[in-house]
Amino acid sequence: MTETVFRRRSVASALNPAGMVQRRFRAWWMARLPRTDTTLLTQRNVYILPTGAGWMLALTLLVLLVASINFQLNLGYLLTFLLAGSAVAGMHVCHATLRGLSLHLKTPTPHFAGDSAALEVQLTSERRSPRMAIALAVQGSGQWSWTDVPAQGAAVVQVAFAPARRGLHDVPVLTAETRFPLGTFRVWALWRPAAQVLVYPAPEPHAPALPPGESLGGDAPTTQSAGSGEFDGVRAYRRGDPQKLVVWKKAAQALATGTDALVSRDTQQSQRSELWLEPGRTGLVDPEARIARLTAWVLQADRLGLRYGLRLADSVVPQGSGAAQRLRCLEALALC
Amino acid sequence: MNLRATLSHLPREARDTLFLLGVIACVLLPLFPHLPLWAGLFAGLLLLWRTGLALLSRPLPSRWLLFALLVLAVAATLGQFRTILGREAGVTLIALLLALKTLEARARRDAMVIFFLGFFTMLSNFFFSQSMFTAAAMLVALLGLLTALVNAHMPVGRPPLAVALRTAARMALFGTPVMVALFVFFPRMAPLWGLPGDQLSGRSGLSGSMQVGNIAQMALDDTVAFRVRFDGTDSALPPQSAMYFRGPVLSDFDGREWQALPIRDTPNTPALLEVQGPGIGYETTLEPNQKPWLLLLDASPEGPKASGLQAFMARDLEWLSIRPVSEVLRYRATSYPQFRHGPLTETRTLRFSSALPADSNPRTQALAAQMRADPAVSAGGTQALVDAALKRLRTGGYEYTLEPGVYGEHTADEFWFDRKAGFCEHIASSFVILMRAAGVPARVVTGYQGGERNPVDGYWTVRQSDAHAWTEVWIEGRGWLRVDPTGAVSPGRIGQFTRLRAPRGAFGNAVDRVISPGLAQQLRAVWEAANNRWNQWVLNYTQTRQLDMLKALGFDAPDWQDLVNLLAGLVAAAALGGAAWSAWERLQHDPWLRLLTLARKRLAQAGLALPAHLPPRAMAEAVRAHFGAAGEPLAQWLLELEALRYAAHGSNPAPRLKQLRRQFATLALPTHSA
Repeated sequence: MTETVFRRRSVASALNPAGMVQRRFRAWWMARLPRTDTTLLTQRNVYILPTGAGWMLALTLLVLLVASINFQLNLGYLLTFLLAGSAVAGMHVCHATLRGLSLHLKTPTPHFAGDSAALEVQLTSERRSPRMAIALAVQGSGQWSWTDVPAQGAAVVQVAFAPARRGLHDVPVLTAETRFPLGTFRVWALWRPAAQVLVYPAPEPHAPALPPGESLGGDAPTTQSAGSGEFDGVRAYRRGDPQKLVVWKKAAQALATGTDALVSRDTQQSQRSELWLEPGRTGLVDPEARIARLTAWVLQADRLGLRYGLRLADSVVPQGSGAAQRLRCLEALALC
Repeated sequence: MNLRATLSHLPREARDTLFLLGVIACVLLPLFPHLPLWAGLFAGLLLLWRTGLALLSRPLPSRWLLFALLVLAVAATLGQFRTILGREAGVTLIALLLALKTLEARARRDAMVIFFLGFFTMLSNFFFSQSMFTAAAMLVALLGLLTALVNAHMPVGRPPLAVALRTAARMALFGTPVMVALFVFFPRMAPLWGLPGDQLSGRSGLSGSMQVGNIAQMALDDTVAFRVRFDGTDSALPPQSAMYFRGPVLSDFDGREWQALPIRDTPNTPALLEVQGPGIGYETTLEPNQKPWLLLLDASPEGPKASGLQAFMARDLEWLSIRPVSEVLRYRATSYPQFRHGPLTETRTLRFSSALPADSNPRTQALAAQMRADPAVSAGGTQALVDAALKRLRTGGYEYTLEPGVYGEHTADEFWFDRKAGFCEHIASSFVILMRAAGVPARVVTGYQGGERNPVDGYWTVRQSDAHAWTEVWIEGRGWLRVDPTGAVSPGRIGQFTRLRAPRGAFGNAVDRVISPGLAQQLRAVWEAANNRWNQWVLNYTQTRQLDMLKALGFDAPDWQDLVNLLAGLVAAAALGGAAWSAWERLQHDPWLRLLTLARKRLAQAGLALPAHLPPRAMAEAVRAHFGAAGEPLAQWLLELEALRYAAHGSNPAPRLKQLRRQFATLALPTHSA
């Protein structure tokens, strides 16, 4: 239902000529912005407009001026004009807070869709005085991250960024803003970083157990192990298992997570079958649901330290294990 | 734990709130004496309450309670003033609102609201005082408010207030030239609408009527009435005892109260003034008093001169402005200490000046008849009568005092016979009644007598406490003559200027004891001089002075349009300056980067578009790959550019960069790709 509402709204805004002009203007403006991972804010790309409080200040000044005229208060004039002068100086200070600042986007790390992730931006100032109260956000998100940049130094800000869809995304337009010192002016800059961020599919929560491995000879998969949750190569520790069969790496991980479950190598099965993850074996129809389950399986297999491969419609990740294999598979899943 | 440590351990929210409360107290404190007592206490209690909440980190009161307090404040103001408009009620209400607002101040928006309310409150302080002290206090308050606002806009961490203060002070400092320019050039205009009736209420000054007891209040008032600067040296001046600044002349006596003749009756009648001897030129700076009288030294035939001032002389020699003096007014005048004025022979109007209600002061009337009957007096005429009355004042045990007690119905009777004590207005009034009872035209003149010369800047200061009442008696063949009966009672009051001072408070006495009286006087003189400068340059900067300044700048007939043009010119100059500065700032940007950008642009024109983030080495590779051998010089140049930036070099890179720039200009760009 929310979707229909959204669609209706978007249709309405598409028909609204003002909205169209605005969108056109926005697109044109965005296209003007060069994509770059490092940008220096200058007079050309820093914008300034008064805020509501700024208009309120203007009104206050007007009232003070009228009162000074009407009561013939020369000190009232002085007060009004000093306040006006300070506001003008404040405007300059506000603009200078962003002007001359350089922004650098650190190469974003891939993350899972739906996770709250962060883009790391480094703000570098060469000025001999600190820059106060600079806020950064993904444009339109309203989730501001605040920072001060020390004099002739740098500060790192993490900007919240949570793309809902998997795939390779352009880093969205970032905006830097400040209202320091008086809040009467909003000074902002828009920035399109060149970097892209890889978003892995969100793993299916509570995914079923891994599919059974295929036997090397092409035999039918052993159904017994799948049912008991035992997989090719490893199984749950049983009393009496010799110590050399215990997978200690996994045991350490298990201890760290507090489950205390030991895993033993199953020497008999590890050589007989290998694990292939395929959309067809998920038992699902919806392609995205398939990918979600495959993602969960990749993580599960990696957690168990298995050797596994991934067969997708147009790409195959050969058998392997370890962090590199996991990343290869996740990337393939993100981009398929 | 001491206070300092406690404060430094407070959470930031509490610390900011306490600071803001301090600033608000600073804004409200000078207002306290001018608020109704309940309002001052109410505001103070609210602030204390908020302070307690902040110190204990307790939650703020609910909206309903606040709303109830607001209703209470408005209702109380309404009850006190019967309105919430008007100056007094408005000031009370805004002070209460400011104090109330602190009880819901949390977010940045509230800091803004307090900021704006604070400025209105600051302005309302100026209704009551525009002294240097008020200005200094408000400057501190302005810096405090700015600091609080800046602090509210630093959301990260717990920045020290000193950082915010520095930013605020810097803004105020940069704002000062703007303030000066606007103050000097912003066209001064008349009030946009009528002044509220309560304007300047509570300020004392001369008035068009005198009931015995009025001037006594003024004798306690040390505020400045006006200042005078005489041309020439002091030796050319009349003695202090002859400095009578003429104000309202009171001719109409109803038995109780002296009144000036209605002003509308006077302009057409000539004052019949003849001046003799040399004149004295001077400049007077009159404090606003909402009255039309322009105080001048007796007597000035031409009257005060100031642009925009329209003045006329009334029949009884006083000068009046057609509009009440509502702002500091400065005028030039020339006066002649030797003069003769009034009709030389008896006229009908003179008979009006000897009128006395029949049942008024019977004993004085009897005294007058008795004096008339004296053969020496009847032989000597009016002059002998005046001398006899003055002699009686001198020898009859009469006493000059500021605390004569309350007089009854027949003030002259009581003065002449019962109390024998009083000050100038009792004495003058009784003297005139005696003269009139004897059939001699006489009148009371009020104004100021004497003044105090400030040795630091040479200005004469005339205070409300110098207000004085004397008399004029008409003598056939000589016109109106000034007679100061107070001088007969207390010669010190006139002349030597050991004025009778109001009883001094404990503080004043302590100051005299601790610091020597001479030093105290010296300090006072310096202070007065500074205060006068302040008045001359800040408070007295009126339209007149503004136009004078334009004249000094070379405008022939300046008007407000010239001011607007000048102001616009200044704004344009400032904008040009800003543009020049920003252009300069752009030039200050890395010249190396600019050269690289230039190279990238030229390459793009030649058909090789390279992304902006490519370093010179990568650009050189791309040039080699795209243009082949033809691109080699350019590639070499790019590599040299890179070496200039990144290779170690001890010397200043600027000359080498210049060389590279020149080289680039002569570099033939490859036109075809390999």
